[in-house]
Amino acid sequence: MNKLKCLEKSKCNFTNILLVLNALSLGCWCVLLLLFVSVASAGRDVDSGSNDTGRNPAPEDSHHQTNSTHHKKAFPVLSFNFDHVRKPFEISLWILLALLMKLGFHIIPRVSHVVPESCLLIVVGLLVGGIIKAFDEDAPVQMLDSKFFFLYLLPPIILDAGYFLPMRPFTENLGTILVFAVVGTLWNAFFIGLTMYGVCQIEAVKLGRVDLLSCLLFGSIVSAVDPVAVLAVFEEIHINELLHILVFGESLLNDAVTVVLYHLFTEFSHKGTVTVADAFLGVVSFFVVSLGGILIGAIYGIIGAFTSRFTSHSRVIEPLFVFLYSYMAYLSAEVFHLSGIMSLIACGVVMRPYVEANISHKSYTTIKYFLKMWSSVSETLIFIFLGVSTVAQPHPWNWTFVVVTVVVCFVSRVLGVVSLTYIINKFRIVKLTKKDQFIVAYGGLRGAIAFSLGFLLPDNEMKQLFLTAIITVIFYTVFVQGMTIRPLVELLAVKKKKESKGSINEEIHTQFLDHLLTGIEDICGHYGHHHWKDKLNRFNKAYVKKWLITGERSTEPQLISFYNKMEMKQAMMLVESGSAAKLPTIMTPVSMQNIQPKEPLKRRAIPSISKSREQEIRKMLRGNLQKTRQRLRSYSRHDLMVDPFEEDVSEVRLRKQRVEMERRVSSNSAANKQSQPWISKQQLGKDNNIP
Amino acid sequence: MGSSSSRLDRVPGAKDLMEETGFSETNILCLYDRFEVLDREERGYLRLEDFEAIQQLAVNPIGDRIIGAFVFPGRETLDFPSFVRVLAHFRPTDTTWSRSGSQPEPANSRTRKLRFAFSLYDQDGDGKISRAELTEMLQAMLGMQVTDEQLQSIVGRAIQEADLDRDGAISFDEFKKSVEKVDIDHKMSTRFLR
Repeated sequence: MNKLKCLEKSKCNFTNILLVLNALSLGCWCVLLLLFVSVASAGRDVDSGSNDTGRNPAPEDSHHQTNSTHHKKAFPVLSFNFDHVRKPFEISLWILLALLMKLGFHIIPRVSHVVPESCLLIVVGLLVGGIIKAFDEDAPVQMLDSKFFFLYLLPPIILDAGYFLPMRPFTENLGTILVFAVVGTLWNAFFIGLTMYGVCQIEAVKLGRVDLLSCLLFGSIVSAVDPVAVLAVFEEIHINELLHILVFGESLLNDAVTVVLYHLFTEFSHKGTVTVADAFLGVVSFFVVSLGGILIGAIYGIIGAFTSRFTSHSRVIEPLFVFLYSYMAYLSAEVFHLSGIMSLIACGVVMRPYVEANISHKSYTTIKYFLKMWSSVSETLIFIFLGVSTVAQPHPWNWTFVVVTVVVCFVSRVLGVVSLTYIINKFRIVKLTKKDQFIVAYGGLRGAIAFSLGFLLPDNEMKQLFLTAIITVIFYTVFVQGMTIRPLVELLAVKKKKESKGSINEEIHTQFLDHLLTGIEDICGHYGHHHWKDKLNRFNKAYVKKWLITGERSTEPQLISFYNKMEMKQAMMLVESGSAAKLPTIMTPVSMQNIQPKEPLKRRAIPSISKSREQEIRKMLRGNLQKTRQRLRSYSRHDLMVDPFEEDVSEVRLRKQRVEMERRVSSNSAANKQSQPWISKQQLGKDNNIP
Repeated sequence: MGSSSSRLDRVPGAKDLMEETGFSETNILCLYDRFEVLDREERGYLRLEDFEAIQQLAVNPIGDRIIGAFVFPGRETLDFPSFVRVLAHFRPTDTTWSRSGSQPEPANSRTRKLRFAFSLYDQDGDGKISRAELTEMLQAMLGMQVTDEQLQSIVGRAIQEADLDRDGAISFDEFKKSVEKVDIDHKMSTRFLR
């Protein structure tokens, strides 16, 4: 036995090593290709029309062209025209590199346990950038282009976050989150800006040229907590829901503040002088930016929900509606310089309950996986580009400025969190403890948004210095804080996320408690949290659902939908488990013929069911599912395969099946085993009769 | 503060109530004001009709059960101290109270809150939530929008999940276990009562 285990283990190790080698070699190949691409772009004088036999540009070939088969006037059998596909080729290469790196990290478990993925990706970016730079000093290294970042890389991550935002903890802690996001960011921005201005005034630093507005602008850029970095780090430490939603919600909602401050200070530094009216307009613009963004998002969300009402005949394009409406919301908000992030989140949040009630199960899965895929790729790319861009820049280094920035950032964050929590705790039911405060303060990571905003700064003498400082802060927070937060969480024994399986009991009792608290609040005459939530629910049920959800689903109570989802999951698990796994033990016979016709087939087991009966049921299930699939007559690219969970044709059969099962259960209670084969034959016979 | 102490004198037995339930002076005064508003005919006690006059409670699916928790079927009236005692369950949990202390368990501890919720389910007071009671509760919450079969299957599933000793009913401990992941301290507290 031991020898076998040893052998297996060494085989395992061997396979692992193979995998790692594979990933690394592919990664190297990617890097070399990238090198070639950037070198080639630098030396554009290569005659693209010459006959070159290599369509596959290995790096060795780039340095010498093969001149064989050199007929000047003959028809070129093979030609080399790279510029044609340059841009997509580069992009694909970068993405491929990013994904291979991601693969590689997870195969080396020890490293990925200590170092968060974001750090590793930045390091990879640094290496790649360094290699490219070392090869050719002037090569235009692919940089974190701000437009590319804000228009293509950021939206998927935010949409993924917003669409799957856990609404309950978010709304329960909304006040706290808003205070942290708005007041906290403002405090950070001004504290950092003013301190840096003070530091610059000191003679010894030799930075007297920096004026107040530039410093404030710098402060506003570097003060915002970054959702990408927070997501990347917090996802791996599995912290409890409250803290997660606090830090994450803050990072999402502070976008409005950042946008306003950034535009405000940029405008002011152009104008030169600031009047009180301007400051007042600044405050007004904050409300306009945030509320306007949310409004645009909500409008697009409602339109999207409304559209999804009519998609029952073209299920294939359903996910696209979700993506496009959300993206349009983001872009529209950006047109007016409103907060795109808040618009995107509002769109996702508003759209989700209605869309999920309307779309098919497959579309739901598609949406989920596409969003996760895109956001994963985006995140990886962002970190790699962050590393690459660091190398690409010249970095004027001023020790005092940079170090003081890092220290001041940390100090202001801690001060801000502690003082705000002191005030907030007066209004909270569940107070934030010192441990919570520490995690919230420590989890305030800066990331690529700060870098891109810094990149967009007008080109003046201070820009490079600011960028250096921003990059240092980002590196410090992501590396130092990101790496140490996991052991600290363990050390402080912070509550971790509870893995809950979603029990029907919890759902029932939670709703019950909602009603109870609403009642108590009414008795006290107090219009609290529950009262307004209840009112919103009533409004939703009475008016909104009718418009936005198709057919019967619009009147379905939430509990029923939840229950149906659970049942569906269990039914699918039951069907998928081919082996004789344990079936759910107790049952009620009535639940056989339960849910509405539209719902997928439910299967319930019977207590102490005999093995042969078990296998029979399973065979029947499988057979029926397969039969539905075989029923297709013609294949069309635009039609989905007949979904066993959705077809009307199978409903009738399923219903009969259920009735049969139920009859079987009641016969089982009489311990009448002889009727068993007869019933099953009858069952199958019935199936064959239906056209 | 002279004025507030004189106001407190209006409230009968205020000091004892404050000690017993842990409410602050302001809370007691607020609650007394509310009591007086509800007590339209100024009888000094509340009756069933006073509760039923609260409009939002009529729309609440479990409104009658809540009223039942205040005004027990046996008794006809509710005086102020009882009113306060029931509402004391909904004070936010004190983090400073420890189980080993000599004081009796305060009304707003997690277990007491759960007992209160349990009592709303368990109408006949036998210490267990039977199938019928759960069905009734779900029927009340879901109203007309659910068919009987759906109801039965949900109830069946719920009991199957929670019933650990397989007696077909949910005891208090099983109830406690099934909501252990729910943040009761948060869900059963209202900010008004601090």
